[in-house]
Amino acid sequence: MAHRIVGQPIGRLDGIEKVSGATRYSADVTLPGLVWGKVLRSPLPHARIIRIDTAMARALPGVLAVLTARDLPDVLVGRRMFDMPVLARDRVRFIGEKVAVAAALDPDIADEALALIDVEYEDLPAVVDAAAAIEDGAPLVHENPGAYEGAPPERPHPNVQSVLRFALGDVEAGFREADRIFEHTFRTQLAHHGYLEPHAGVVAIDHDGRVQVWASNKMPFRLKELLAHALQLPKGQIRVNLTPIGGDFGGKGSLMDLPLAYHLARVTGRPVKMVMSYAEELMAGNPRHPSIITVRTGVTNDGRIVARRVRALFNAGAYAAFKPAPSVNLGGAGMGAGVYRIPHLAIESLCVYTHSIPCGHARSPGEPQMVFAGESHMDMIAKELGLDPAEFRRRNLLADGDRLANGHHLEHGRAKETLEAALKASDWSREKPGPWIGRGVAMTHRHIGVGFTNAHVRLESKGTVALVIGLPDTGTGAHLVLRQIVAEVLDLSLDEVQVELATTDTFETDSGVGGSRVTHTGGRAAYHAAEKLKEQIRAEAEKVGTPGASFATIAQAAARDGRTLEASYFYDARAHAAVTSFTAQVAEVAVDPQTGQVTVRRFTTAHDVGTIINPLGHQGQIEGGLIQGLGFALSEELGTEDGRISTLSLGDFKLPTVADIPPLTTVLLEDLVGPGPFRAKAIGEGSISAVAPAIANAVADACGVRILDLPITAEKVYFALREKPA
Amino acid sequence: MIRLTVNGTSHDVEVPSYRTLLDCLRYDLGLTGSKEGCGVGVCGACTVLLDGKMISSCIALAAFADGREVTTIEGLAEDERLHPVQQAFIDFGGFQCGICTPGQVVAAKALLDTNPNPSEAEIREWMLGNLCRCTGYYKIVESIRAAAQARP
Amino acid sequence: MNAFDYRAPRSLDEALAILQEYGDEAKAIAGGTALVTMLRQRLLRPACLVSLREVPGCDRVEATNGAVRLGALVTHRDAELAPLLRERLPVLAETFRRVGTIRIRHMGTVGGALAHADPNQDPPVTLLALGARVEIRQSGGRRELPLAELFRGYYETALEPGEVITAVSVPLLPPASGASFIKFLPRTVDDYATVAVAATVTLESDGERCREARIGLGSVGMTPLRSPSAEAQLAGQRLDESLLRAAGDAARADVDPLSDHRGSAAYKREMTAVMVVRALTQAWEAARRAVRGVR
Repeated sequence: MAHRIVGQPIGRLDGIEKVSGATRYSADVTLPGLVWGKVLRSPLPHARIIRIDTAMARALPGVLAVLTARDLPDVLVGRRMFDMPVLARDRVRFIGEKVAVAAALDPDIADEALALIDVEYEDLPAVVDAAAAIEDGAPLVHENPGAYEGAPPERPHPNVQSVLRFALGDVEAGFREADRIFEHTFRTQLAHHGYLEPHAGVVAIDHDGRVQVWASNKMPFRLKELLAHALQLPKGQIRVNLTPIGGDFGGKGSLMDLPLAYHLARVTGRPVKMVMSYAEELMAGNPRHPSIITVRTGVTNDGRIVARRVRALFNAGAYAAFKPAPSVNLGGAGMGAGVYRIPHLAIESLCVYTHSIPCGHARSPGEPQMVFAGESHMDMIAKELGLDPAEFRRRNLLADGDRLANGHHLEHGRAKETLEAALKASDWSREKPGPWIGRGVAMTHRHIGVGFTNAHVRLESKGTVALVIGLPDTGTGAHLVLRQIVAEVLDLSLDEVQVELATTDTFETDSGVGGSRVTHTGGRAAYHAAEKLKEQIRAEAEKVGTPGASFATIAQAAARDGRTLEASYFYDARAHAAVTSFTAQVAEVAVDPQTGQVTVRRFTTAHDVGTIINPLGHQGQIEGGLIQGLGFALSEELGTEDGRISTLSLGDFKLPTVADIPPLTTVLLEDLVGPGPFRAKAIGEGSISAVAPAIANAVADACGVRILDLPITAEKVYFALREKPA
Repeated sequence: MIRLTVNGTSHDVEVPSYRTLLDCLRYDLGLTGSKEGCGVGVCGACTVLLDGKMISSCIALAAFADGREVTTIEGLAEDERLHPVQQAFIDFGGFQCGICTPGQVVAAKALLDTNPNPSEAEIREWMLGNLCRCTGYYKIVESIRAAAQARP
Repeated sequence: MNAFDYRAPRSLDEALAILQEYGDEAKAIAGGTALVTMLRQRLLRPACLVSLREVPGCDRVEATNGAVRLGALVTHRDAELAPLLRERLPVLAETFRRVGTIRIRHMGTVGGALAHADPNQDPPVTLLALGARVEIRQSGGRRELPLAELFRGYYETALEPGEVITAVSVPLLPPASGASFIKFLPRTVDDYATVAVAATVTLESDGERCREARIGLGSVGMTPLRSPSAEAQLAGQRLDESLLRAAGDAARADVDPLSDHRGSAAYKREMTAVMVVRALTQAWEAARRAVRGVR
């Protein structure tokens, strides 16, 4: 079915502001009398705080306040599990933990003040390795984590934050059925999201006591709730003003420094701005969890998977506070089953406390880690069985009716078609152009995100429509998509639909941006609100006796009666759909045997998608996610030494540049079955997870070397090449 | 006290010696279009032109611009008409969150001023120092090529 | 950053006088790309910064007798694009082109980078192989040093307080020579080198025997360095692949790299050998072309 506006690759109209530098992000917000806050951080991974002396700092000219935990209410913060103090109270648990905060007339003076704060610590034994942290006798990060609000009940060891399990069938029985059993262990690295806008926020307290917040946070309604909790204020006293965000990728959903900004504002009587430096982001910015994942799979002699057990150990760092899921774990652990029919499955995912940087959600939380393990493992098994990796996958791909790891039975699955499309487009079977060149395939799938959103549409007197939503702009082009939906339903031109950003005063709630849910939930809310308005307009036209009247005429007619035509819709998609989107990717690489350097010669990505509402935005999500996957595969790594982050700038933590991107072929299989509006699915997190294993598999194909830990560096390949038997 | 010309307008600004050019633009002059990203001159979010040459303003002292001309993102559009690079970024999806976009656009304008018809390799080499985390770069390159073709 | 005195003298003499007055409490600053970063991180707290940006006469690229002379205030970008350099010492122009990004090269100066003495920089590698000399001035005096003697240690030079580099003089290569520069950076295209090698090969006029080879190495020690053992392997010999490999092995023994984010010490050692062979191979081929061109 052809649509008029949905499906058009329309350029974003917030573009004019963005390309002119007119968009105001949180760090750009300015208010009269604004002062700057800066944080002093712990240099030790685990220590008791004996004494903090702020006298000299407070005496520095230009300094307005210096606060420690003693000056703040004794409240713990978090997104789901509340285990983190706003400022360290009597102990520090990771290098980078916040110990004190200063407000000054400019950021430089605030930095000088920090240098004048004298802290006396008493070193305590620290554990930074996740496996070591759950051994008997390991130093405890928290004495009694089970007592924290939101703590999941299961705790095999005091240093376990949470356990998440997926199970199908009877895995032991399954292994007994297997002809052969394979087990491999993989590791992935600590990696920051790499958004270019560091966390920033401004807090101002009005004369009537209302707290105004501008922040780089993508779920403003949840932020309001969490702030109310942290500051011990009624929710209604806080107003979050939606602010455009310079990249989120899962990392901007927490309070970060906002409670401190509030307390500084309270004490100084001035608006306070706090902006993290990039070094602080790399040291304390809730990065992607590093992992150790063991996958054990039993197969029959003809290459069918009968059983799989996965054990994942995620080094979650000193606090669970940054994880938003009710499980306080990573939902991506379910991807241990991959895209395969596995009748007997047991996945156990542990998030472990250590005296290291607390981790959070990152694009497809837990998935790039699990998919690297699972898809590398598949190739290693295929090799042992003497099967082509694509063929081994074919024999095991999920088909409709098969059970996913979450227990749902797959509907409208297109795993096989997606795989075949990627293989075809990448010339999988064609002879390679030379030695030391290899191809690797990897697959993943991703459900459509769930959440809840309010949308409100209002017919204006000139016949245009205002779409009021509480979803901030994280950069994905979501606002344009929602406008396209409303324009399509009401048969308007795009210009005639304008977005009006709500504040947290406008609606009661919204789950915000994330989890690939916005087109689905926001789109459905907008769609249904528009449908309701359309009905109201039709009814009004009939009442007035002018069925074909323009929207302006109808609006004015209603206005004469003192009415505005408007409609709201609250869409709550809490139930997981049984529909998922498959991704298949093929990497073609060249390995330089003299140096181990891996060059990605070309990359193919195939996606099974629903209706694409905006092809330009859709492709942008694919490409962006893919290059993040490339960085995760080849170059990004937060270096750590005894819990200390050693990569404290983007000069050391290497993100891909424009010169690093491979030639890319995208294949889209459009299937008009999605739960989103106009049968859309989701794409925001579909292209990142399979990149690393596709490359690892290609490297193995090119030179016989199997890299089991990310990132795949030239050095690792070099030494592995020289280790393997001739 | 320094005197710098920004986007054609002369400004006398009193700044402490340690003031970076970026902070001077953003906070002393209220031109918040240029952004601070990495703070060490690597990411390019702070790109401005100093006497027509692109630099990292986060690691330049404001004093370096004394007596010189600075061009920022705010100075690219002419009388409400977008620069061809700006228009191309909109038409070809060269931006998403927009935080790197001012730097990308200023850098791309400097490229086309120097080399009106760059090859793809030349675009990549020039734009090497402008990081983007949202787009994956493909549409940035496409936008710049389109802008090059659109110019009279 | 602490507030510091910022001075922008309009003559070299004035700059030197201020530096003399402040002693080691002052730092000279040109492009500032390294210094401002260090100031922001509070790694340096000078009482005075003496900007050389308005000092005339130090920003020329000139041909002198048998050499190219680069004023200390020549930016990397100007050096990279200077027709004189591209024509007479293309390996050096190419080396400047590999430094950082264009933004950095627009500000960072030749002299400023040398004074900073970061062992991971690229230009010193080629400058060492070419036998460059630096001109140094202080209030009431001047001296000259072979570049090799400038680098004393990790971010440490032979410059005394009050001294600034005013120029670098780079001898041209003799006839029948070829040169190459290789920057090995396997992570991303914008990075410091894991290993950098510059090689020059000068053949006898018969085009067969190597009269002299010089090898500069970067990112493999506390300072950039030459490889005397590799050079000794090649001097006076007929070159062939196995001899080049032997030179690579000798270079490997000459280096004592520091492990960093771009490679472990062990990997950098191995890559020294590999890149020395590659650089020599390219330089040798270029030398042979030069000989063929002449004959």
